[in-house]
Amino acid sequence: MEATTHTERRVRARDAALRLLNRLTVGAALAAAAGVGVLGAVSAATIPGTITSTSTSTSATASTSATSTSSTSSSSFQSTSGVSSSSGGGVTVSGSSH
Amino acid sequence: MSDSVLWYTTRGAGAVTLILLTCVVVLGILSTLRLQSEGWPRFLTTSLHRNLALMTLVFLALHVVAAVVDPFTNLGWAAALIPFSSYYRTFWLGLGVISFELLLAIVVTSLLRGYIGHHIWRAVHWLTYAAWPVGVLHGVGTGTDTWSAWMLAITAGCVAAVGIAIVLRLTTGSPDPLAPQRAAFRAAVDRREVP
Repeated sequence: MEATTHTERRVRARDAALRLLNRLTVGAALAAAAGVGVLGAVSAATIPGTITSTSTSTSATASTSATSTSSTSSSSFQSTSGVSSSSGGGVTVSGSSH
Repeated sequence: MSDSVLWYTTRGAGAVTLILLTCVVVLGILSTLRLQSEGWPRFLTTSLHRNLALMTLVFLALHVVAAVVDPFTNLGWAAALIPFSSYYRTFWLGLGVISFELLLAIVVTSLLRGYIGHHIWRAVHWLTYAAWPVGVLHGVGTGTDTWSAWMLAITAGCVAAVGIAIVLRLTTGSPDPLAPQRAAFRAAVDRREVP
């Protein structure tokens, strides 16, 4: 009788541990998925990528977004690729590397 | 899908993968300490370690795929699969590929553990100790957000967690109550195997 009680207690403890494992696994998966979104948003907020031209006669174009800047303007920009400077001074692209 | 979304997904998934991999390594180290309590049996540590390892591979795949299909990176699949073949930050990206393939080998051999035997599995599993630091170096070397305060905090936290786990592992004696008997048995078997 006592052995049966002991076995039942062990079975219950094992079931409880398995339930805890499931909850932890699902929780970790949800947290990780949310983490991708949150950290992606944080990275976008901290280093969104900007293009800044330092010359009054500079124009920069992006191959995909067709963003252009002139004078001392600054605009949101993602990548270093596809940027060309037509004339004038330097074009600085920051925070855009992958 | 917007290119920006892919770019931010790559960065977010990279950071999440680092955190998950750190948890996997820490749980793996702690499992050797045989920690347990009434509400936390020993198999919970190893089972969580296994589940998180598989989850790490999923988010690592997301990190790699998002980087490859992002048209701005223009990396190509070869750069994601062959170490040091990328035109972009060749060395640091190569470390990431090596870490990815080490993890893949570890997970595959763990899933095939019943077929390949304990010794081979254990030998391959030791690669984890290489995969984690190589992955950290990849993140530090090529990560866009490496020097952002939040990413520095994540990296420092991960390094600290693994460091503490390793120190615990090295300073704590074997909690295996049968350790002397097992050692004596192995020694006896070894003596019998010598011709």
